[in-house]
Amino acid sequence: MNVIKVHNISKSFGRLCAVCDLSFEVEEGTCFGLLGPNGAGKTTMMKMIYGRSSRDNHDGGTISVFGYDPAREELAIKYLSGVVPQENNLDDELNVIQNLMIYSKFYSLPGKVARERIEVLLDFLELSEKVLSPIKELSGGMQRRLVIARALLNNPRLLILDEPTTGLDPQVRHLIWDKLRQLRAQRTTILLTTHYMEEAFQICDTVLIMDKGRRVLEDNPQRLLRENIEAYVLEVPITDGTPALREPDVPCGIRVDHTEASLRFYAQDLEPLKSLADRLSDHPYYLRQTTLEDVFLRATGRALNEKQ
Amino acid sequence: MRSNSPATYPALAQRLYSVWYRHVRVYTKNLVSNGLPPFLEPLLFLAGVGLGLARYITQSMEGLSYIEFLGTGLLVTAAMFTAAYECTFGTFIRLEFEKVYDGMLAAPITVNDLIIGEILWAGTKGVFFTFAVLTVLAAFRIIHLPQGLLAPLVGFLTGVMFATLSLWITSFVKTIQHFNFYFTGIISPMFFFSGVVFPVSDLPPQVRFLAELLPLTHCVRLSRAVSIGAYSPFLLASLAYAVLFIAVTGWLAIRRLRRRLIR
Repeated sequence: MNVIKVHNISKSFGRLCAVCDLSFEVEEGTCFGLLGPNGAGKTTMMKMIYGRSSRDNHDGGTISVFGYDPAREELAIKYLSGVVPQENNLDDELNVIQNLMIYSKFYSLPGKVARERIEVLLDFLELSEKVLSPIKELSGGMQRRLVIARALLNNPRLLILDEPTTGLDPQVRHLIWDKLRQLRAQRTTILLTTHYMEEAFQICDTVLIMDKGRRVLEDNPQRLLRENIEAYVLEVPITDGTPALREPDVPCGIRVDHTEASLRFYAQDLEPLKSLADRLSDHPYYLRQTTLEDVFLRATGRALNEKQ
Repeated sequence: MRSNSPATYPALAQRLYSVWYRHVRVYTKNLVSNGLPPFLEPLLFLAGVGLGLARYITQSMEGLSYIEFLGTGLLVTAAMFTAAYECTFGTFIRLEFEKVYDGMLAAPITVNDLIIGEILWAGTKGVFFTFAVLTVLAAFRIIHLPQGLLAPLVGFLTGVMFATLSLWITSFVKTIQHFNFYFTGIISPMFFFSGVVFPVSDLPPQVRFLAELLPLTHCVRLSRAVSIGAYSPFLLASLAYAVLFIAVTGWLAIRRLRRRLIR
């Protein structure tokens, strides 16, 4: 069963095509990640799903969320969904529980139900001790968790998160990932945007890599890694003198990526890279497994776009 | 996957109430600093003008002593100022700086609900500010109760009128400093030329019709009438103006702000 169905959706701002003919579907109870550099169209795509952004009408694209069209039935979709926007936007004047009580009215929750639900959610996000704290006294990580708690007020069947862990420290990031995994285990469907490859790898069942509004790759993250890039990479910086290696010397089966600041050698096996590294004598190098980040950079290129 | 039952979400009244409730909670959080000035301001004004200036003005204005004339006008200018501030600076800060609307629009409400909720909140502030002036006027026996108790209703109408106008203005504004033009160019002149400090009938005949076009002129006329219990059929024209004004500027405000919020 697919909760979200996006077919041939485009969105232009003037001449700029923010999302171009994009299609994807998200299965119930899975975590789907939109991955891409800034300006790739991730947030725009996400906003079209809950009716905060309008899609181009001329080319017959369709969006269906729980069977509802966000252009006409945004209320039904938003009632079943929780949204964590990119910025925290809590009400600074109020404390933690007041912030949540205000939002419980939007879902028409009776006071008693709301208070019980808030207690459970604050416990779930490890904020119970902060019930009466003013927002200004919360750290960035706590504020983020509070916004997530706010999005969970109505027990959403779909949770939409725009860059949930940007700017947070590793402890908080791992905590949030744990919580998202728990929600997914309870059959909550999760749609998130991120530009952390690690995040996509950790929690997403499917990743869609976007660039300039278009789909570049889409698959399970492990499979993306396996099928789109070699298993190992040897990175050699060129900043402190050119290393004693020239591309013609490299044995076949090793792919070379030459940029201004470094040489990267990719191979399916570790051994040939090791022997290559031995020939570097004292020159610094870094031999490691490839990550989703390497796939991403290979797919979207290393050059910066105008929004980065 | 779509269930056979119709879509469920809170009804319109609940949605508007929840937007209104948000503003009430945030406003009442600082009750002393938000709630006291509306009472102090008319007190200061009446003390300054009543003790000082009014002694020199012996001529009656529209059959009222000067302090009565001025006081019945201040009932609605308080509502005008609060609604205008709320729906310019307040709205702009929520929209651009605090990003409050990004959070609210993720909940099951539409942009229309959000904007109408703002307008109703500004109307509520109009009631409160007019009520504060009324309390002061009643305490000094400038207005007699209970007939003056209808004035806060005119305050609501005034609050709503200036909310829709101000939201429409806000929809054009890119930087917050631009509001200075609105306050110096539109709101302040209205304070002086809408029959609050002197009768509109004293304006030169060539510009008198201009005063009749100003929304505050009609608010003042209604406020003065209910305060002293002097009703005339002409008031229906002012009431009709108010309703039409709200409908037109409200429609313009929603249409433009919608484009700014849903892109």
